[in-house]
Amino acid sequence: MSAAAAATFAALGEPNRLRIVELLRDGPRPVNAIVQALGLRQPQVSKHLRVLGESGLVTAEPVHRQRIYRLEPEPFDAIAEWTESFERLWDARLDSLGDLLASLDREPGTDDGHRDPPSPRR
Amino acid sequence: MLGLSRKPKQLTFERTYPAPVETVWRAWTDPDLLRRWWGPEKTTVPECEVDARVGGTIRIVTEATEAMGKYAGTRWPMEGEFTEVEPTARLAYDARSWTEGEEATTTIEHANDVTLRATDDGTVVTLAVTITAVGSKAKLAAFGMKWGYKAQLDKLGDLLKAD
Repeated sequence: MSAAAAATFAALGEPNRLRIVELLRDGPRPVNAIVQALGLRQPQVSKHLRVLGESGLVTAEPVHRQRIYRLEPEPFDAIAEWTESFERLWDARLDSLGDLLASLDREPGTDDGHRDPPSPRR
Repeated sequence: MLGLSRKPKQLTFERTYPAPVETVWRAWTDPDLLRRWWGPEKTTVPECEVDARVGGTIRIVTEATEAMGKYAGTRWPMEGEFTEVEPTARLAYDARSWTEGEEATTTIEHANDVTLRATDDGTVVTLAVTITAVGSKAKLAAFGMKWGYKAQLDKLGDLLKAD
């Protein structure tokens, strides 16, 4: 799951790949439409589509004599889930900060500028 | 090593604490205080350095305790540099986090912006975290998911009871 999110981040990390993803967000497209919209050379676009395909972001479906590229939702879900886990980590950490602040309030000597509360043992 | 990655999302948090802004500032900048709240449950913070001035270093190592089972002893360092420091009002730092021993594949780069604002009731803390890059093959599980949602929810529950 999270390795998938990492692959997704990496695939999206290249500006032109990101442009392709943004273009496909509006709907499936054949490669020549992508070439035209982005003003890139076809081999370049094909290379990017291959990377996007390997990361599972994009799939291709043959229609007549063309391959139509479309976005797949799952990798984006993986990013969202990973981001949520990061969010949860920070939420827990900020809760913990609140707990510490409350405990400092109860410790003697912390309200008069004393700067050496006991440090935790390892 | 790192692929440039457009930020997938900027995470923002806002909390109000019933504590004076000076105390909250110390909780962020005094290593002895910072290490007391930084690590998630079942972790310790064996190393913590904070040099809160522009260009100064922030370095925190979180280590899994025996309670984390197979992850026991795993270390997650974070190392960064302060880019903005306005005492009791604002702290910003750019940092990298990784799983020790797997730096090449687990590194995440992130920009963090903390602001503190004194109010009648205490201090409003806002935090913006922007993930700017991740290791190309990052096993991100190591960073956020391994301690598990349940552990974090339990800890939250404990804190709520403590209130």
